[in-house]
Amino acid sequence: MVSMVQNQDVQQKDLDHAVVVAVTSRALFESETEEDDGPAYRGGVAFPLLQALQRVNEHLLEKDPTESLLFDVVLMTTDRQQQQQSSGFMSSTRHHGLEVSRFCFSSEEDFVESLLKNNIHVFVTTDENEAFQANQKGVLSLLLDENSASCPSEQLRVLFCENSIIRPGSGPTSSSREAAQTFSSQLGKMRQKLETSHSPLCFTLVTLHGGKDRCCGALKALRSVGVSVDEAYCLAGAPRSPILSLLRPHFLLSDGCSGSED
Amino acid sequence: MSEIKPNEAVPAEKSGDERDWAAAKAFFDNLKTKVPRPPKPQNAVTIAVSSRTLFDLVAERKVFEEEGLETYVAHQVEHEHEPLKPGAAFPFVKALMNVNARLRALYPDSEELFDIVLMTNNHAQVGVRLINSINHYGLTIERFCMTGGKSPIGYLKAYLTNLYLSRDSKKVTEAIEEGIAAATMFRPTADAGLSDTQLRVAFDGDAVLFSDESEIIVKQHGLDTFFEHEKKFENKPLAQGPLKCFLEALGKLQRKFYAKNERLNCPIRTFLVTARSAASSGARVLKTLRSWGLEIDEALFLAGAPKGPLLQKIKPHIFFDDQMFHIEGAQEMGTISAHVPYGIGQKYHKGTLIKEPEKKE
Repeated sequence: MVSMVQNQDVQQKDLDHAVVVAVTSRALFESETEEDDGPAYRGGVAFPLLQALQRVNEHLLEKDPTESLLFDVVLMTTDRQQQQQSSGFMSSTRHHGLEVSRFCFSSEEDFVESLLKNNIHVFVTTDENEAFQANQKGVLSLLLDENSASCPSEQLRVLFCENSIIRPGSGPTSSSREAAQTFSSQLGKMRQKLETSHSPLCFTLVTLHGGKDRCCGALKALRSVGVSVDEAYCLAGAPRSPILSLLRPHFLLSDGCSGSED
Repeated sequence: MSEIKPNEAVPAEKSGDERDWAAAKAFFDNLKTKVPRPPKPQNAVTIAVSSRTLFDLVAERKVFEEEGLETYVAHQVEHEHEPLKPGAAFPFVKALMNVNARLRALYPDSEELFDIVLMTNNHAQVGVRLINSINHYGLTIERFCMTGGKSPIGYLKAYLTNLYLSRDSKKVTEAIEEGIAAATMFRPTADAGLSDTQLRVAFDGDAVLFSDESEIIVKQHGLDTFFEHEKKFENKPLAQGPLKCFLEALGKLQRKFYAKNERLNCPIRTFLVTARSAASSGARVLKTLRSWGLEIDEALFLAGAPKGPLLQKIKPHIFFDDQMFHIEGAQEMGTISAHVPYGIGQKYHKGTLIKEPEKKE
């Protein structure tokens, strides 16, 4: 049984133009143990991501108060157990001042259906199985882990990289690849509206294995789909973790140059 | 100063690194036009150069300062297909490439080579013009970091950088404070005829190869005390300075040529150009180098004479000094100079204590 509730404290977005991000309650809150001071749950690994999304919205609205290309966040529960805590999630959202416009309550069986029904552009979860299922049905999924908690909250960082490292194992389906491309170009449009330096949205390109011409090709390919990359790193085989640990991206997307699926 | 290349990778990370390495090898092996595959950072002598040292970006910089970042980026994108002119570090980079060619000929499977990384603050969209320019001159630079305004320090460390060259003294100072050999490059006002078969690197002694301990004595107690002190402690090695490890890295590569009987034809030559005099304070310097197991090809003791004319004869691809008036003197006579902002020398100008902090560009 799926139900959708609007958050009365937050202005609803124009769903024809917004980029809808669904975040699971398990990713957003640590709801296993209650916090000491009051009835609100502590922020989980998706907390910095949400704050970063909010900052982007703030900057976009500052530039144009009538802007409709904004992030629209839906808090989603995906299992029956979490459904029991629905009021806790709603009050915690209020407590932390999170810009969640809707709450969606579903179960393991029907959460993918509700993702599709509600036109979710990106599904953010800490559950590998959930991400896989959503991906299979063509919904772009983002799998978070404990590293995500250390992502910055004041800047949304999107990393474009060779296909092979995006989801080793759970390869992208053609429909989720399409969803990824749509998402990239929506982000590209958002980026164009923001300032060049100290922007709350930052695009980074990393070329892990190829040389400078591969990286240059990717820069131009992304440019051609409306994504103007801010930072670029060409590793040409150098160890990836020292560089990636400095970049701390929220989203990992393909660089669009998937000629060589190495 | 940390040792050259500590290898501390954790086992699980190591296998991931090996996979990346293998994938990179496959990529480069399959290229239609053969390009040498860049070496593993832990094996290489990594030189990081900024875009403004590699290329002449003076006119573009003016656009940035007068019209702002957006106009600057748009200008660069518009002129993307026009190669930039060479900058101060360009001859140095070409000389490094020549050494690599000689090393590859003698040791085809070795990874002990120079690895040149472009480390720039520039926006990635400007990067296309930089890459086009690199290709125009056939420079072997495959690795780069275009940080779009963020500090390069973390990335310098990630690449195990042995030397960082930039036009921005703030970044250079930060790098030195983090234990990375670095220097601020200055363009010579005249053109020198540099060697294209031999990399020639000149170093000042105190506060560059060695610590500034003796220079402190000169500044605070005068030359006579300095001479007495150096004679007394002749056999006590000086502490190391910020560029000692770079000299060490050069020495390691030199020995590879000596091992193949190429000493007379070695494409790397190092020079010590110091204001010390051979008679009174020179011995300590030579003994210190010996205690470190380092060789320097030519040691020139000037006993206070100006360095400019001598450097004009040496024609190094780069000359490192900690004192700006030496840098300026060398620059005026056509030497490519690099300032090492380290030690007590930063607080003085031509022997007098500076009241306020020195302003950089």
